[in-house]
Amino acid sequence: MMVLRRLLRKRWVLGVVFGLSLIYFLTSTLKQEERTIRDRTLLEVRDSDHRIPWKVRFNLGNSSRQIIQCRNSIQGKTLLTDELGYVCERKDLLVNGCCNVNVPSTRQYICKSCLANGCCSIYEYCVSCCLQPDKQPLLEHFLNRAAEGFQNLFTAVEDHFELCLAKCRTSSQSVQHENTYRNPQAKYCYGESPPELLPV
Amino acid sequence: MLLFPVWGSILFCLLTGFLPVVGMEPAGGARSGSEPTPDPDPDPLLSPSASNCSQLTLKLEFSTKVVEHEYIVAFTGYFSARARSHYISSAIRNTRDQDLEWHIVPRENPASDFPSDFELVHIRQASPSSLLTLEDHPYIKRVTPQRKVFRTLKYFPCKFALRGTQSWQSSRPFRRTSLSLGSGFWHATGRHSSRRLLRAIPRQVAQILQADVLWQMGHTGSGVKVAVFDTGLSEKHPHFKNVKERTNWTNEKTLDDGLGHGTFVAGVIASMRECQGFAPDSELHIFRVFTNNQVSYTSWFLDAFNYAILKKIDVLNLSIGGPDFMDHPFVDKVWELTANRVIMVSAIGNDGPLYGTLNNPADQMDVIGVGGIDFEDNIARFSSRGMTTWELPGGYGRVKPDIVTYGSGVRGSGMKEGCRSLSGTSVASPVVAGAVTLLASTVLNRELVNPASMKQALIASARRLPGVNMFEQGHGKLDLIRAYQILNSYRPQASLSPSYIDLTECPYMWPYCSQPIYYGGMPTIVNVTILNGMGVTGRIVDKPIWQPYLPQNGDHIDVAVSYSPVLWPWAGYLAVSISVAKKAASWEGIAQGHVMVTVASPAENDSEVGGELTSTVKLPIKVKIVPTPPRSKRVLWDQYHNLRYPPGYFPRDNLRMKNDPLDWNGDHIHTNFRDMYQHLRSMGYFVEVLGAPITCFDASQYGAFTNTRTECGERRRPDITLSMFLVKAQQWWMPDTGGANVPALNDLISVWGMAFGDGLYEGDFTLADHDMYYASGCSIARFPEDGIVIAKNLKDQGLEVLKQETAVVEGVPILGLYQTPSEGGGRIALYGDSNCIDDSHRQKDCFWLLDALLQYTSYSMTPPSLSHSHSRVAPPAGTDRLLPQRLEGNHLYRYSKVLEAHLGDPKPRPLPACPHLSWAKPQPVNETAPSNLWKHQKLLSVDLDKVALPNVRAYRPQVRPLSPGESGAWDIPGGIMPGHYNQEVGQTIPVFAFLGAMVVLSFFVVQLTKAKNKPKRRKPRVKRPTYLQQQQQTTMGKNPTV
Repeated sequence: MMVLRRLLRKRWVLGVVFGLSLIYFLTSTLKQEERTIRDRTLLEVRDSDHRIPWKVRFNLGNSSRQIIQCRNSIQGKTLLTDELGYVCERKDLLVNGCCNVNVPSTRQYICKSCLANGCCSIYEYCVSCCLQPDKQPLLEHFLNRAAEGFQNLFTAVEDHFELCLAKCRTSSQSVQHENTYRNPQAKYCYGESPPELLPV
Repeated sequence: MLLFPVWGSILFCLLTGFLPVVGMEPAGGARSGSEPTPDPDPDPLLSPSASNCSQLTLKLEFSTKVVEHEYIVAFTGYFSARARSHYISSAIRNTRDQDLEWHIVPRENPASDFPSDFELVHIRQASPSSLLTLEDHPYIKRVTPQRKVFRTLKYFPCKFALRGTQSWQSSRPFRRTSLSLGSGFWHATGRHSSRRLLRAIPRQVAQILQADVLWQMGHTGSGVKVAVFDTGLSEKHPHFKNVKERTNWTNEKTLDDGLGHGTFVAGVIASMRECQGFAPDSELHIFRVFTNNQVSYTSWFLDAFNYAILKKIDVLNLSIGGPDFMDHPFVDKVWELTANRVIMVSAIGNDGPLYGTLNNPADQMDVIGVGGIDFEDNIARFSSRGMTTWELPGGYGRVKPDIVTYGSGVRGSGMKEGCRSLSGTSVASPVVAGAVTLLASTVLNRELVNPASMKQALIASARRLPGVNMFEQGHGKLDLIRAYQILNSYRPQASLSPSYIDLTECPYMWPYCSQPIYYGGMPTIVNVTILNGMGVTGRIVDKPIWQPYLPQNGDHIDVAVSYSPVLWPWAGYLAVSISVAKKAASWEGIAQGHVMVTVASPAENDSEVGGELTSTVKLPIKVKIVPTPPRSKRVLWDQYHNLRYPPGYFPRDNLRMKNDPLDWNGDHIHTNFRDMYQHLRSMGYFVEVLGAPITCFDASQYGAFTNTRTECGERRRPDITLSMFLVKAQQWWMPDTGGANVPALNDLISVWGMAFGDGLYEGDFTLADHDMYYASGCSIARFPEDGIVIAKNLKDQGLEVLKQETAVVEGVPILGLYQTPSEGGGRIALYGDSNCIDDSHRQKDCFWLLDALLQYTSYSMTPPSLSHSHSRVAPPAGTDRLLPQRLEGNHLYRYSKVLEAHLGDPKPRPLPACPHLSWAKPQPVNETAPSNLWKHQKLLSVDLDKVALPNVRAYRPQVRPLSPGESGAWDIPGGIMPGHYNQEVGQTIPVFAFLGAMVVLSFFVVQLTKAKNKPKRRKPRVKRPTYLQQQQQTTMGKNPTV
């Protein structure tokens, strides 16, 4: 008993005890931290009132056009859509990335090739149609109940144009059996519902 | 409709690991106790295939043999030669056999001067017991027999053992697979106990490719966003300093890598220490698209690719692939990705050495497809090769892979820490992706870097490997420094791949160089890819111009050119059909000329609206012409009627190949019938390919019409009801026809009173002194009375598949020879199985039979071994049995070129018009071309000499090995975004921990000081001996603090 007591009073014993507890503390803190991160990142259900931060610009006609530099849809084979909703041919693109509005073939907010369910056969028209100001409630509604698989994508979207670019792309919603389009004719959708399943 | 064939799920099977160990294991790998040994039990569906094949190949790769009378005596330590000899003699003295004859086998090598821990001893008549007693000596660890290791030739097909127990739920339909070698991957942890030859010591792949030259110039990949689509990455891996984001696209709730594949790939690209990657400062975006069970779906990829586009990724590595280029949503998405300027690098596949095994998406024109080589510059055996098969039957495949680089025994990051070595094209792909990232960061004007310009720079700088054809090596081996020089003097332009057509150049231009062209033959098609670095879309201005060189007989050939109407994204095709002009029908010689193409793209940085960039490229052509061979020497291969996967599910002819059941290699003489082609060429036959309906050729010109595995071909299997249940797609998958389409075939041959039956047979037999194997073939049910029919005893495989019963059927008619009665009439040979001429999964070849049949059809010479065989039977009348019918509700018409959907039975489609080549109007020029086109053809109009490497600064930017004792997690930047699904790797954890530790420490310090200042409450211990007390005091004095 005495030996034990004496031992406890020695500083190196205390030091060892301290060291061990410190190590234990550190490891448990680290582990806990890891666990909370994991819980946080793997949250399955998001809070329902989460909304995508909107920065929608309403472009009412040419008069309000103040943008010097335009983003556009980049990828098109022949057509491009700029962020103001104009669709033009590649050759009619200005150096600043905007469509040349003085060319008669350039049209704004055009829903050509789009069906009533919000699916279009040409990507650029889908983006243009989606940029229509009156599509905002529809898009907001979609965002509020976006499927889990889309959360990565749609929480990273920053404004109306990016949202339309991302929304119109073909996605997991566009396919059936993983290797065929639900509707190969109208596969680009700005609307909420996936393309209508065409009977094979 | 539920019956539509689906191969939805993508199972990343441990690829039938062809050669797990071809000497790429590091010497240190064997002692890899420190390496993690991840052995997640692979999907039970997949493991049998992987292990079966690898084991078998292992046997083929090398064998060992015990050397008689020689033993290796291992000691417990290192001793000098004299000491060793002394120990052995004393040990042998201790054995009971006193008359053991022994001597030490001298080892003449530089190491013999140094102490060693083993000795090679020759002992005669050693009994096992006496050997055991040798081990009783205190310094002798063990005695083992000496072994001799034989390394066998590299080119052994991976032969498969027969496996009857495996179910039809197999790995191949799950298409996209990870392209690291399955077994090589798992065995890389040193679990192998057998000996292997280390052909190369793995080295730092980044240093071998001279990435350090660029590092020293200050380029480390900074500012380039790289996406790794793989199995994820753990958060605090010590090798990575700039992991920008990790996202999970699978149904598993984790971001971490449970396999080690994704970590390895990310490490090759961006590891900053130990096994260094190429671009340590690049911004890593980790996309987890494969689960730990190696499952993936197209839809996960679609969503993940969309995110990559949104995030403006610059370089994307995809070390996975699959056979189905007909998965339109996936292929379209890859186009979309590259159209958004994402440079896509993908592995070409691990299905070599068979031809026709290229994987999608690496086989796309806009993707950089990477093949693998070893450190001795041999094409890795596993690397997929052969032309692309999208273009069949009408056209000809493109050249792929684009480039090759090290993919065998490359070292990269281990799953948790440290390094490991791995083989597979999924290793070669990140080598290129890392190089591309590093290259992109060297370019000042990033606008110039796009998928096309990067690919142009890589292929223009690649070093050609000698003795390897272009369908194996593409443009050659990656050369990072030359690519740097080219990229930094690059001006937007178009270029061609291949950049010239020299049909005489062997072996690079194989198979073109293997057969000269002649008048009346099917046109030779070369499918050239146009790369357009000027813009994502482009067009060919006017028409390509054919300019024959008059001094070099250019007027002896006709050239037709077809091309993509729009070059999008970044690329298009230019198909050049070459045929011999009539005036050269009996001429022999070399003809040359060139095709000029002008490509235009909208100019994006031009102030003038509607401005265009143009670029003109020249495609030199050189061909060898011979006089038309006699009809009897010409064989026509029917490609047109071939049915295959994709798009439909067409089982292989050999139903035993359950781990690779789909027929996806193209069935072309230059893909999986390559051996047959080479055999026929060596026998002097000229083989041509018919990519059009049978009505489009003149049969009087040919000696034989070979028609295999076709709708109306020569080989056939009944439509027995085979179904696959896809685990993931939850649907039964019905074959649309058998490996050969018997009903259609019977329609064709019924006019001669022939038909195939509905039985399905398999088995070994001997025919004319040749061992043969009948792999899931069918029998002849009806044959004209005056024909020759050979029958054999075979197993009824149909019964086995349907009812799991084995039954041997006697006298199955398998071969029939028939001379049509009309005068000058042709001859028909029928054989019920083609597996023996197909390279994929062939067990025993039967080229001798093919020769015999060709002799028969061409010269009417019936081999006596066949006509007088004991197996000859009376031709079956076939009236007693029903002939096979098509399955109710099958969808063959969807894939068939001759059937069309119809109410009730599918009806034959009207024959399409025969393809008509519009020969280009020649514009002769009075030019001559150099004799060696390759050396003189500039791949890109870039003046390389201008770009000298700048002075190398003695600066190594933050790429350094971890010094011993250094903490692993010291420089992980960024913070955790609360509430964000996407985890940003943060440094908050160490900070928290440190603060906590400081608090605790200060608490203890305060406590200790308090305790020290307080007067002792206890009464002094009188009993304590004084010397102890003194000692304690002195100790305290020495150690004032803890």
